[in-house]
Amino acid sequence: MLLSIEPDGPVAIYQQIRDRIVEAIADGELPAGSGLPATRQLAVDLGINFHTVNKAYDLLRQEGLLRIGRKSGAVVARDAAGGAPRPGWEQDWAGRLRTLLAEAAAQGLPADDILRHCQAALAGFAFPSSPAEGGTAAGAWP
Amino acid sequence: MTPAALAGYVAVPVFGALMCAAPAFTQPTLQFGVRIPPAHSGAAVIRRERRSYYWRSAAVAVCCAAAAIIFWRSGSRWLPRIILLLEVAADVGCIWLARRKIIAAKTAEGWYAGLRQTVVADTSWRTQPQRFPVRWLIPAIGVIAATIVIGAIRYPHLPAHLAAGLAPPGSRRVARSPVSAFAFVIAQLYVTGMWTGLLVLTYRSRPDIDPADPAASVRRYRTLLDRFAKAALSLLALVDLTLLLAALQVWQLYHLHGAGAALPLVPTGAGVLLLIAVAVWAGRDRIRRGQRPGQAAAAGRDDDRFWKAGLIYVNRADPAIVVPARIGVSWTLNLGNPAAWLVIAVIIGTVAGLAVLRIAAGM
Repeated sequence: MLLSIEPDGPVAIYQQIRDRIVEAIADGELPAGSGLPATRQLAVDLGINFHTVNKAYDLLRQEGLLRIGRKSGAVVARDAAGGAPRPGWEQDWAGRLRTLLAEAAAQGLPADDILRHCQAALAGFAFPSSPAEGGTAAGAWP
Repeated sequence: MTPAALAGYVAVPVFGALMCAAPAFTQPTLQFGVRIPPAHSGAAVIRRERRSYYWRSAAVAVCCAAAAIIFWRSGSRWLPRIILLLEVAADVGCIWLARRKIIAAKTAEGWYAGLRQTVVADTSWRTQPQRFPVRWLIPAIGVIAATIVIGAIRYPHLPAHLAAGLAPPGSRRVARSPVSAFAFVIAQLYVTGMWTGLLVLTYRSRPDIDPADPAASVRRYRTLLDRFAKAALSLLALVDLTLLLAALQVWQLYHLHGAGAALPLVPTGAGVLLLIAVAVWAGRDRIRRGQRPGQAAAAGRDDDRFWKAGLIYVNRADPAIVVPARIGVSWTLNLGNPAAWLVIAVIIGTVAGLAVLRIAAGM
């Protein structure tokens, strides 16, 4: 994947890295099992401190999206086909989504436009294509 | 004239021509070491400064080449080096003049004001790393092995005193010892080891990614690095061949007089020309395929503050040791990283160690 960040932008760099990787997983660009560079390597490629990359990877690990092994390195742990999220996650996310939607509402964006943006974003994500495929993936979920 | 002096005289016009042509194979977004946002890559000040630079550096090249021709007959070892040093200083001066004007325009007109500055990494660069062309090391290793074998066979038959390096006949001689007899093998091992190490470091470093077209620029960089490494490893084999030819002369297997004495330099000369040709071709290719007129391009990060005089990179926050240089097709060290100083210390330390060995052997 192409990881694009703005080092002098208003968003913290570790947050930008984490966001771009989450987006790539949702887009299907980084399916479960795909490898990511080691923290030091990615730090060299972006020209930033390796602790910053470490922080982003750690965040992704806590979210259950990344598995970091001593030998295997950083590997994407799950994607859209990986079954339902862990309990309690959805509530947490709904809270953050509410804030994001509220921003648009407060700025005067009509509800139709907000919905249009949501649909456009969802259209770009790689959801499991057929129910059967989703079923097999969900079958792995206990 | 000694081969060393000859090489010095030939280097003057070659270096002059290269420096004169350098802007022609540098990306439009990096002019004279100044980062330019894509929207301003065709600015009038840049075109004007490029024209002036071509004239100035061409004048420098012509003057230095003329000086080299005038002093050719003297056969001095030091004169070509002094001329080359003056040429380097004059060319750096030409770059500085162009830089100053472009930076002034960039600052006054606020080229980067309000632009989103991005840095792009391609994770596939690490997950599917570019393989170092190990096989291309075989010729160099083969030449070194051949040199060692011939040396080992010749050693018992050598006289008590040997010629000190590629000196003209009748000059100083040194006592035979493993160090004086195998000096060229040591030089081969040093040159091959050092350049291979630096190439490996370059392979592990980051690619030169253009944020305006990241995917294509990574592909181009992979091709560029591959061709450059193969040309550099070929040059290494040819340098080792030069050292082998020189060693054969010291081991009294053949002897050449007059212009023929320069024969050992022919392989290295050919290798240098090959590397220059590949670098020029790769640079032109990078620009030709990188140009997409009318495209709303993303701007790279304005990192001018980390480049001293556009030539020396010092960025403490950057963990990279080797980074693509800003002028021409080359790489440089990040002097803000202690590991880069370690690399320099290793290079200087080895040179110093070899010098001590030379003195100890009475050479």
